[in-house]
Amino acid sequence: MISRVKYPVWSATSWLIALALMTPIAVMFFSGIAANSDTFLHLWRTVLPDYVLNTVLLAVYVVVLVILFGVPSAALISLTNLKTRGVLRWLLLLPLAMPAYVIAYLYTDLFDYAGPIQRYLRALFSWQSPADYWFFDLRTLTGAAVMIALVLFPYVYMLTRTAFEYQDQQLVKAARSLGLSSRQCFFKVTLPLARPAIAISASFVLMETLADFATVQYFAVNTLTTAIYDTWLEYGELSTANALASILMVMVLLTVAAEYRARAHQRHQSKNKQTSKVRISLTTRQHIIGGIYCWFLVIAGFLLPFILLVDMAVQYFEQTSLAGLWHAGLNSLEVSIYVATVATLIAVLLGLYRRLSGVKNCAIPLQISGFGYAVPGTVLAMAMLATFGPLDHWLNDVAKWLEVPMPGLLLSGSLFAIIFALVTRFAAIANGTIASGLTKIPKSLDQAPASLGVSKWQSILTVHLPLLKSSIMVAWLLVFVEAMKELPAVLVLRPFNFDTLSTQVYQMISDERLEQGAIGALFIVLFGLLPIIVLNKKE
Amino acid sequence: MSEILKVQDLSVELQQKHILSDVNFSLYSGEILGLVGPSGCGKTTLLNAIAGFVDFTKGQVIIDGVTISSSHSVPAEKRNVGVIFQDYALFPHLTVKKNIAFGISKLAKQKQQQRIDELLTLLKLTEQEQQYPHQLSGGQQQRVAIARALAVRPSILLLDEPFSNIDTRLRNSLMIELRALLKSLNISAIFVTHNKDEVFSFADKIALIHQGNIIQYGTPRAVFDQPKSWHVADFLQIGSWLPITRNGDKISTALGEITTIENTNINEQQQVILVKPQYLTLSSAAPNCVVKHVSFTEQGYHYTLSSINQDDDLSFDELSFYSDTLLTIEQKISVILEPHEYQLFLKPCHQ
Ligand SMILES: Nc1ncnc2c1ncn2[C@@H]1O[C@H](COP(=O)(O)OP(=O)(O)O)[C@@H](O)[C@H]1O
Ligand SMILES: [Mg+2]
Repeated sequence: MISRVKYPVWSATSWLIALALMTPIAVMFFSGIAANSDTFLHLWRTVLPDYVLNTVLLAVYVVVLVILFGVPSAALISLTNLKTRGVLRWLLLLPLAMPAYVIAYLYTDLFDYAGPIQRYLRALFSWQSPADYWFFDLRTLTGAAVMIALVLFPYVYMLTRTAFEYQDQQLVKAARSLGLSSRQCFFKVTLPLARPAIAISASFVLMETLADFATVQYFAVNTLTTAIYDTWLEYGELSTANALASILMVMVLLTVAAEYRARAHQRHQSKNKQTSKVRISLTTRQHIIGGIYCWFLVIAGFLLPFILLVDMAVQYFEQTSLAGLWHAGLNSLEVSIYVATVATLIAVLLGLYRRLSGVKNCAIPLQISGFGYAVPGTVLAMAMLATFGPLDHWLNDVAKWLEVPMPGLLLSGSLFAIIFALVTRFAAIANGTIASGLTKIPKSLDQAPASLGVSKWQSILTVHLPLLKSSIMVAWLLVFVEAMKELPAVLVLRPFNFDTLSTQVYQMISDERLEQGAIGALFIVLFGLLPIIVLNKKE
Repeated sequence: MSEILKVQDLSVELQQKHILSDVNFSLYSGEILGLVGPSGCGKTTLLNAIAGFVDFTKGQVIIDGVTISSSHSVPAEKRNVGVIFQDYALFPHLTVKKNIAFGISKLAKQKQQQRIDELLTLLKLTEQEQQYPHQLSGGQQQRVAIARALAVRPSILLLDEPFSNIDTRLRNSLMIELRALLKSLNISAIFVTHNKDEVFSFADKIALIHQGNIIQYGTPRAVFDQPKSWHVADFLQIGSWLPITRNGDKISTALGEITTIENTNINEQQQVILVKPQYLTLSSAAPNCVVKHVSFTEQGYHYTLSSINQDDDLSFDELSFYSDTLLTIEQKISVILEPHEYQLFLKPCHQ
């Protein structure tokens, strides 16, 4: 086929958008690694080994924990006759709605020296001082790992459960007919087949862990994200912050590579959910242990913190500044609506470009634009500063030269940078949702309109967009919620005196007075529940 | 009859692979052409090239007087070529009526309505007017697809395996109905199938495609009587193969000597003659075949025979033979080949 330039405007727009989304990260990365070697040497001699070690340890602990939490619960729900599995099935997803830093605060409150548990124990055993007894300290690296794992394990649970449920049952039947017991079957067939799904979800959790900022900051665990934040906001050292962000980027790239490999191995899944399945019967003892395990995860990851939060919100209602809440809520809404709308538009544009343009390499813009999901918010924030800061300076110089009023930090100090960063980070979510909507439209529907004399643009309006309607709505909602919850990028980039719900909650947490921000935190959790409901409905 | 479509030296490459090379044929007004050939031979690609869904590297296509070539392309929506897709490609979010109206939205409302009503009646869809595609049976969906394509009054209609999603039991009656419809409206059509029975009962002309080339083109009768090559006869299962050897004027087969056939140049390749079942009869002479398989058909018992002697140049193992006499498996029998005009073929080496 002769390759001709078709749809030059569409092609140019798609490529430009994709490249624009990635430019700041590239600028930051290259200026980061190009930082003078003194910076690196100094970092290396002082704090860097600790930061890197903490980051790696945290990641390893979290991954081990989410697998320990997620895989057995997925197996219990999808393969056994565990009682209450009907409700547990979706209850186990709810922890996803809880920000890790919120439960970190709540549990610290519950378990620390002045908290109700230790007070009760002291009263019970008549202990007088901390020297009289030992009690675990939550505010450690391990504690942070547990907090993060408690809210991230549902990713592993969800993907593993799907892998179990969509596994080709013929394979299990074949194994049984070859003489394996149902137990042996699980370890020799079912679990190995689910390994790619576990690996994919674990690498996803790994990315989220590398991106975590608020939990480790609150627990005073020094990782790369807190280091980036501190070097920039406390000491104003942009090039050092950039260098740290580049190191974190390298770790992220390694994770992306690992995930990519895991995906390549993902096969053996049949298209349909297998319904005629024989469930493994649990003994009474297994029932009790399995039940306790799953319910513990639901209670610790969601129910208990949720109740504590509601309780706080009610008790401290008087002291809450409703005006502040209202203000932050509106800001959050504004940012999230912009981000969701822009990300969805881009996803539709690039998705349809790939599907319909017939141009060579038409999938690349979509792939490029999806890469941002792996980039931690703090790194993205540095990328915006590294790119738009100089651009702003240049604009001001031009303004000065033209003798017009100087625009100030037009790009790097306004909502623009926040929206740009969040669109970069969440474009992949919108892309994925639109792409899966597009795969449900048969290829022949792309050609049918043309055979009836209808142009491509007309057919997009009359066929593709109507058929994508629900995917577009879901994509918008998912990005909206994620943008609502995102903290570190907003924290670094927000203009002076600009608060969103999440930055406000974070501020209250660092000031040890979440009580007054409990309503805001509840809103974040309730918004976080929306996508879970959507995901659940889609099944 | 006028030429409605002319395809000249058409070549298509997809991802650096030659899919079609130098395809030539014509379609006359009101004619139905059947494209047959094994899966993957390029039938869908040929339709796509005519409809405008793939570009061609060489050659030209003339549709109703408009010449399209690789340097002068016409977009699919301007070609006025109707397509019935293999999965019908009905718009799932539109009712039957709106599906049919899809391509004629530019006409005046009244004109649209009139045309839709005509087609609904013609294709017996009046009851289904307000239903959605998923509420219809396979046959009804096909009729909607046809109505939708006909609504824009295309110069030609392309049908890609139109019967592959239809129950075998209903297929024959649907084929008869559709053919009658196309004929009554005098529509020129190309339809694709990999099923030889379909092409013989549906088409006015047959084009047999092999590895991206048309290897024979003609009426079903002509192709059946005079297959041009081993591939044609083999794909259309016109008969079975009987190897021969020559010794001067003497020509031997495992079923005995036969009279001279025209002496094509002697080739290293194995020569075989095409044996249609009607030229075989049972005799009481010394056995020369063994029964390997029996199946029951509406034309009596269908036997697959192999030669008794399996290790010389004349041995065969899949000779088709019909008879009303019941024979048993492994039974040794004698079969004679009635003299007729023998058709000689060269068997491809790697087969
Ligand atoms: N988009 C494509 N890119 C590359 N090769 C293709 C493409 N579409 C079809 N082919 C190849 O072209 C050949 C003919 O395909 P097709 O026309 O669909 O065959 P048919 O319809 O006769 O079964 C096949 O070998 C197929 O693999
Ligand atoms: Mg085909």
